[in-house]
Amino acid sequence: MDFLLTEEQQLIGQAAREFAREALDPVAPALDHDGTWPAEAVAALAGQDFLGLFLPAAHGGAEAGFVSLVEVLEALSRSSAAVAAILAHHALAAYAVDRWGTEAQKRTWLPRLAKGEVLAAAALHEHGASPLMAVHHPEGWVLEGVKGFVRNAGQAGLIVASAATGEGRRSLFLVEAGASGLETGAPAETMGLRGCPVAELRFNSVVLPDAALLGPADGGAALEAEILALAALANGAMTVGIGSAAVEHAAAYAKTRVQFGRPIAALEAIQTLLAEAATDCHLGRLALRHAARLLDEGQPFQVEAAMVQQFLGRMGARILQDTVQVEGGFGYSEFMPLPRLFRDMAGTTLRDAPADLPEAVIAASLLA
Amino acid sequence: MPNILVCFKWVLDEQDIKVRPADLSLDSSRAKGKISDFDRNAIEAAVGLVEAQGGRVDALTFGGPSVKNALKDVLSRGADRVLWIADPLAETADAFVTAHVLAAAIRQHGPYDLVLCGEGSSDAFNQQLPVRLAALLDQPCLSFAQTLELQGDRARATRKLGDSVEEAEAGLPAVASVLGEMNKPRIPTLKQVLGAAKKPQIEVPLAALGLEAGLLRPRSTRLGVRGFVMNRRNIIFKEPDAAANVARLAASLASEGLC
Amino acid sequence: MTLLTPEHLRVKEEARAFTAAHIIPRAAEYDRSGEFHPFLLEAARESRIFAMAVPRELGGLDLDALTQALVLEEWGYGCAGMGTTLAASVLAQDSVLVAGTEDQKRRFFEPMARGGIGAFGLTEPNAGSDAGSGRTTALRDGDDYVINGGKCWITNGGYASMFVIYALTDPTKGMKGLSAFIVEKDRPGFTIGTVDHKLGIRSSNTVELLFKDVRVPAANLLGKEGEGMKIAMKTLDMARPAIAALSVGLAQRALDECVRHLQARYPDPKRQPGQNLQFKLADMKIEIDAARQLLHHTMLMRDAGVPYSVESAMAKTNCADVAMRVTSQAVQLLGSHGYTSELAKYMRDAKIMQIYEGTNQIQRLVISRAVLAPAVTQKGGH
Repeated sequence: MDFLLTEEQQLIGQAAREFAREALDPVAPALDHDGTWPAEAVAALAGQDFLGLFLPAAHGGAEAGFVSLVEVLEALSRSSAAVAAILAHHALAAYAVDRWGTEAQKRTWLPRLAKGEVLAAAALHEHGASPLMAVHHPEGWVLEGVKGFVRNAGQAGLIVASAATGEGRRSLFLVEAGASGLETGAPAETMGLRGCPVAELRFNSVVLPDAALLGPADGGAALEAEILALAALANGAMTVGIGSAAVEHAAAYAKTRVQFGRPIAALEAIQTLLAEAATDCHLGRLALRHAARLLDEGQPFQVEAAMVQQFLGRMGARILQDTVQVEGGFGYSEFMPLPRLFRDMAGTTLRDAPADLPEAVIAASLLA
Repeated sequence: MPNILVCFKWVLDEQDIKVRPADLSLDSSRAKGKISDFDRNAIEAAVGLVEAQGGRVDALTFGGPSVKNALKDVLSRGADRVLWIADPLAETADAFVTAHVLAAAIRQHGPYDLVLCGEGSSDAFNQQLPVRLAALLDQPCLSFAQTLELQGDRARATRKLGDSVEEAEAGLPAVASVLGEMNKPRIPTLKQVLGAAKKPQIEVPLAALGLEAGLLRPRSTRLGVRGFVMNRRNIIFKEPDAAANVARLAASLASEGLC
Repeated sequence: MTLLTPEHLRVKEEARAFTAAHIIPRAAEYDRSGEFHPFLLEAARESRIFAMAVPRELGGLDLDALTQALVLEEWGYGCAGMGTTLAASVLAQDSVLVAGTEDQKRRFFEPMARGGIGAFGLTEPNAGSDAGSGRTTALRDGDDYVINGGKCWITNGGYASMFVIYALTDPTKGMKGLSAFIVEKDRPGFTIGTVDHKLGIRSSNTVELLFKDVRVPAANLLGKEGEGMKIAMKTLDMARPAIAALSVGLAQRALDECVRHLQARYPDPKRQPGQNLQFKLADMKIEIDAARQLLHHTMLMRDAGVPYSVESAMAKTNCADVAMRVTSQAVQLLGSHGYTSELAKYMRDAKIMQIYEGTNQIQRLVISRAVLAPAVTQKGGH
C-alpha cells in the first residue's frame, strides 16, 4: 500500500485548507458562541463539491473517494469542527443511500444530496425507553419510537434511520423530514461542535411506503455497523484536525510566551507535551488514511476503523488537555481559541452505543 | 475572443522554510512547492477575463524537475492547458535567462493576445520578468495593474504608482503584470481538481526552443542567501518609576537612531 | 481510608447538606450564564464557612487542615466554580495567617467572619509560572506605600472586600524586592479591569485588577519588605491542597453521575454493561480514592506541623490529573449523552485544576527537585 497521497488527494487537501482558512476561520468563533445554523458555510461546502465528495459522478458527485473525505474533514476541522461535523453526518447518510439504495432511490436522492439541495442526517442512536420500531402493514411501514442525538436534525431534508423490524432484526429507512408524524425535538445544549444541531427525532406513527426501505429488510444491523465504521473515520479525521490545530497554536504560543527569561518553548517539559501531541496526531492520521484507502479499494475496513476510534479515543482528549496546559491561564480563557477546540474535541472522541465498540470489533477479528 | 497566456513559477512555500539559528542558513528540506502567490492572482485574472468574454487560457512555467507537481494545480485553477519546461538550468536561471526561455516558448506556441504575469515571484521577487518579456516580444507592458480590462483590441489597466494611480491603455498583443490586490484567487472545487487530469499538459523541451547557449547563461548570480532573525536584546529597565523607565527607553532608542 | 473523627464527619455532613441545598441546584444555571453567584455568599454567611480558616478568637471557625479539605471536597462536588470562590478566599486569608500581625489579622478577618470574601493577587500577564517577574510596584512615600500596576486572573477580584496584593517595593531587586500588602477594596485608584470568560469554573469571578497611585498605609505591609516571595510560597503550600480537595470532589461527582446515567441506561439487572465499562469505572474509583488519601495524608502532616511542601505539590498534581482523567472518561463513556449532560461541565471545570495555583508543571519541578536532592531536614513524609 502506498502511504503517500496521490497528487489529486494532495490538491484536494490543499483546496480544503484554503477553503477553511478563507470561509471558516472568520466565522468559527461566532458560530461557536451563537450556535446558529451556518447556512452560508453549508452553501459554500456545496460550492466546493464537498457535499457530494465521494458520490458517483453519474449522480452528480465528485467521486473523489474516502481518503479525500478524511483529508477534507481534517482540513475543515482545523478551522471549524462544527462545520466539519455537518459535512460528516451528511456524508454518513449519503454513503448509505449510495451503497445500498436502489437505482430509483439513488436517482431521486443522490443528485440533490451532491448539490446540497437536500442535506442528510443519519439517525442511528437510541437512548432509553422507546427505541424506534417499524412494523409492516398493508399500507406500508409504520414507524414508532424515538431516535436520539441526531446531528443535522431540523436542517436535514433526508434522514437515514435505523429501526427494529422484529426481535433481533433491524432495517434502514429513508425518511423525508416533512413526513407526517415526524417531530424534531429542541436542539440539545452541547459544550462543543456548536452550530451542528443535535436533537431527538420522534416518530409518531410515521407511515412510509415500501420504497422507503433502504437495503434488505431485516438486514440492517450489518449496514448500521458499516455506517458506524465510517462514522469512526469521520470522527477520527475531525479529532486529528482539531488536535493538529491545537498543536500548531500551542507551539506558536510557546515561542512567544516568555517566562524565566526565555520562551517557554525552550523548556523540555513544554517540548515534550507538544511532541507527544504531534506524534498522536501523526499516527492517527496515518491509521485514518489507511482505513479510508481500504474503503476506496472496496476492501473490508471496519476493524481498521475501529482501531482508529480506539487510538484516537484515547489520545484525542489528551491532546487538548496538554495543549491547553502549554498555554496555561491564557489557554483556559475563552478569549483564546483552545477552549473551543477542547470542547469540540470532546465531541469527536465520544463512545456512543453500543458501548463495547470499538474493542469488540477488534477483538472479534483476533479471536475468530 | 482573447487567447491569454499566464506565466507562473513553482516556488517553495516560504512558511515551510526554517532558518537555522547557528549560521542563519535556510533549511528548505521539508518545504513543499506552491504556485507563487501573485501568479495565482494572474491566473485568476486570466480566468476571469475569459469567463466574461470567452477565449482560452494557457499557463506556462519554467522550472526544475519538481515543476511537474505544479501542473494539475494550475489546471485545477482554471487554465485550459499547461505548457511546461522542466530543466535543471532553471535552478540557477536569472530573470534574463527566464525571460528568454519564456519568450521563445511564447513565440513557438503563440500567438497570444495577452501575456499575464504576477507582479513578482514569492521567492526572488525581482519584478523584472514582465518588462523583459515585453521587450523581447516587442510588445507594450502594463505593469503593476490593479485592474485590467480587455476592450476589443486594447487592454486597459489601472496601474498603482508610489502615491497615485494611473489609467493606462495599450494595444494588443500586450504583456501585463498583476498586483495581489486585483482579485481573490478562487479555490478549486473537487470537480475542478479531479478534472485537471483530463486537460492537456504539453512538455516543451528546453532544447526545442532553439536558444543559443549565450542566452541561457545567467547574467547575475546568487552568491548566498541568509535568513533574517529578529533577536530580542532582553534589555529591561528597572527604574523605580515608570517615567524614568520611559525616559531611559527613549534615550536608548535615540542612541541607536531608532527615534 | 483516613479514619475520620466524629467531628470531621459532622463538619463533612454539614458541608454536604449545604452543598445539596445551595450549590447543586443552581450550579448549571450559573455555569450557563457565567455570572458570579452572590446568593452563595448570603447563604454561607450564617455558617461562616468563608471564615473556616480564620482563628476562633477573630470570629472564624478555625478548622484544621483536614477538615478544610473535607469541606472543599464537598464544595467541589457541588460545583468547582463555586468551590473556587471559597478556595480563593481561603488562599488570601492564608497569606495573612502566614505573615500577618495580630492587628492585621483582626482587620482582615473581621469582614470574612461577617460573610465577606478575600482575593489573592500575585499573577500578572507576564508573571504566571515565573511569579517573580511581576512589574507592579509599591513604593514607599512617607507613611504610605503607593501601588501602581496590574494583576490578572484574580479570582473573586470583583467581589472581594479584602485583597492580598504582591508588589515590588524595590524593583531593582527582582523577586527579592517583592512584598505583600493588605489592600482594602475601597482604596482610591484601585479598580477592576476586564472580566475573563473561561472554559470552566465559569461562575467564579476572574478579573484584572488595576492600581493607579493606590495609597496604602505602611501598617498594611505583611511581614517585612522583600519577604513577598517567601510569604507567597508558604501561602501556596497551604492553598494547593485546596485545589486538590476541589479536584477530588469534582472527580467523585463525575463518577457518581456517570454511574447514575449508566444505571438508567441499563435498568435490567440481567443486562449490565460489559467488563470494558465496568473496569473503567473501577479504575476511576481507584484513582479517586488514592488521590483522596494522598490529600488527607498531606493535611494530617500540616496539622501535625511537619514540613509538607512536597506532599502539597504531589497532592495538587495528582488530584488535578485524576479529576481531568475521570471527568474526561465519564463524558466519553456516556457518548452523546455525556456530551449533552452536566458531565461536560465537570470536564471543562477539571482543566483549570491542572493550571491554577501553580501549573502541574511547576509542581513537578518542586517534586523532582525533592526527588533529586532530598532535603535532609525534611522528615515525616512516611
